[in-house]
Amino acid sequence: MLNQIKNRISIHSYKASLFWLSGIFLVLILGCTIEKEERVEPEHNRKTITYWSSPNPQEYELAKQLVKEWNAQQDEVYVKLQALPAGQSSEEVLLSAMVAGTTPDVCSNIWPGITNDFIRANGLYALDSFDDYQEVMSERVPEDILESVKAADGHTYQVPWKTNPVMAQYNTKMFKEAGINEFPGTYSEFIEAASKITKDVNGDGRIDQWMGYRDIRPIWWQRYYDYYTSYINASGGKTLFTQGELTIDEKASSEVFRFYQQLYENGYFPQSTMQGNAFLHNRIAVEFTGPWNISFLQRTAPESLEYDFAPLPVPDGHEGEVYTYGDHKNIAIFSNTKYPQESWEFVKYLISKESDYRLLAFASQIPIRKELLTDPDFTEFFEENPDLAKFAQQAAFTRGVDSVRDFKEILDVVSRYYEKASVYGKMTPEEATRDMIAAIEVLREWNQ
Amino acid sequence: MKPGFLLSMPYMAHLLLFFVYPVVFSLILVFHRWDVVTPMEFVGLKNFIRIFADEVFLQSIINTGIFLLLHIPLQIVLALFFATLLNEKIFARGFFRTLYFLPVVVSGVVVTILFQQLFSFETGLINQFLFMLGIDQVPWLVSEKWAMPSIAFMATWKNVGLYVILFMGGLQSIPSELYEAAELEGANSMQRFFHITLPMLNPTVVTVVVLSVIGGFSLFIEPYVMTGGGPMNSTLSAVLYIYNQAFNFGHMGYAATMGLFFAAIIFTVVKVQRKFVEAEVY
Repeated sequence: MLNQIKNRISIHSYKASLFWLSGIFLVLILGCTIEKEERVEPEHNRKTITYWSSPNPQEYELAKQLVKEWNAQQDEVYVKLQALPAGQSSEEVLLSAMVAGTTPDVCSNIWPGITNDFIRANGLYALDSFDDYQEVMSERVPEDILESVKAADGHTYQVPWKTNPVMAQYNTKMFKEAGINEFPGTYSEFIEAASKITKDVNGDGRIDQWMGYRDIRPIWWQRYYDYYTSYINASGGKTLFTQGELTIDEKASSEVFRFYQQLYENGYFPQSTMQGNAFLHNRIAVEFTGPWNISFLQRTAPESLEYDFAPLPVPDGHEGEVYTYGDHKNIAIFSNTKYPQESWEFVKYLISKESDYRLLAFASQIPIRKELLTDPDFTEFFEENPDLAKFAQQAAFTRGVDSVRDFKEILDVVSRYYEKASVYGKMTPEEATRDMIAAIEVLREWNQ
Repeated sequence: MKPGFLLSMPYMAHLLLFFVYPVVFSLILVFHRWDVVTPMEFVGLKNFIRIFADEVFLQSIINTGIFLLLHIPLQIVLALFFATLLNEKIFARGFFRTLYFLPVVVSGVVVTILFQQLFSFETGLINQFLFMLGIDQVPWLVSEKWAMPSIAFMATWKNVGLYVILFMGGLQSIPSELYEAAELEGANSMQRFFHITLPMLNPTVVTVVVLSVIGGFSLFIEPYVMTGGGPMNSTLSAVLYIYNQAFNFGHMGYAATMGLFFAAIIFTVVKVQRKFVEAEVY
């Protein structure tokens, strides 16, 4: 009897094992088969393309709405949305994805400084290969910006999508209390205003209110909001390179070094690292920032905080428009896509006038679009949102980063000389500019 | 297949995947240029030539050396002092032992951010306190002279608890008869410390010195968070520089070469250290 039971259990166990093994085998086989076939959404029988948007909550929410509407309208193409996976930066995540071969079909958070690396790795799809590319682009994007995103091989791999111009956000109350009614337009006016605003408010003998604050650590991307933006401004809209050649405007560079040197030398900008938002807590009067701060201030600023936005101060005697750095983010299609034409159709949907309007209204980001301020579809919005209108006005006078190899490392060199000359005053602005140019040239030679 | 071999498979897999493969790969990398995205390019000895022309790398090695010279003696003296105190029958001994160990278990980044605020030049609490006492503010993190000593002090505060525990273990293993005999011979407490405690602690001192040196060579979080390597590269440690070259600027081959060079320096230092510090106890 006992043996019979044992045999039954044994036969039962054997059958059960066989059943489970067959099941696992079947799932594996099916899984592999499905992966090898074209990616089709089983429910809808549509071609599926993957779209990565910025993980910024407002942008992601907007992307969700846009994708939902696209999927509801389209019979052929289904878009699968995913926020850019978490990482130190979007660039790092995209580089990792490229190495692992897991890039999406479309991504809308591409920093132009990294596209050169992607292009060298044959990771991006040439957008000018689409028949209607020229027509779509010339209708939307200003000619000079379109030209600036052209790669060295003559093709274009990215759609200029949005820009966040850096402007001066200032505490109007502090300025009025110091007897200043208008934001200083030039360096000398700014320094003079700083001498009045920087003071000891609580009377303990220590300064506790400063003109402004910048992170002084020599971290390459921090320079976007001081040296780089001020250099674009001082040089009248130039960047560091022209057609791949280093062409730094030495006079403008020295003027920028000197401007910040005066601010640190006189203690108008502190050398401390401040945690929390110093502007919000009335510890600084000015912050160089982008339009993303508008919605932040609307949500968090106390009612007593009065603020406004203005273009960055320019060197004395500066003539012409006031340029600034625009933190551009572009859209690209990755070369591993199985559906380039469908991806391009989706990109066109993302940059349509309606989508651009929602990008502006929902995420406070400025789309790169011709005659944005005078377009009747946008004028009412700007009348109701004067702060964003200021950024939109500035957007026409922005410059991005140079599309050259090792740009991050070049900014690291800039950082070292900015620190030496401006923050600690260990060398003259002219010496800093001269040595910085030499160091960048050595660096580029090494990296050849 | 023998069961022994099967049992060692997980270890072998771990060894091959996480030690052998990275080491072999980095040895290949030193002769190549590779930015992770594009294919590797053979450059021969170019990475080695670059190391000898790279003043920043040399400075980062010197900075690491300065950190070690400040941090290790300070850490050993303090750890030994607190271990000797906490080994005595003092009031609330258990509480103090826990208290000294607490910074060891707190995240390094948290401690670093905390000290960044304490050391802030215009807004930090330490300078505020000095100001109240009528003393000039100290540029803790914004002067080439002060920044590395400030980091060394912070690292000591963070790690001393671990070495206190190690020294306490060493102290408790010293036979009490030795002290009793010394007392009978009329040795005072200083004589007992220098002629019994210190020689008997030699194996622990060797362990502490070797661990501190290796830990000190891997200085990274503190300058990465607090100073970014500034002011003017004075806190740029070798590991931070290697990290920047590899993961910020995509020079994997050059970073691997620097890593190899740096590993050779650590190996030599530890060898020399053991030769001079290690001694027979009995």
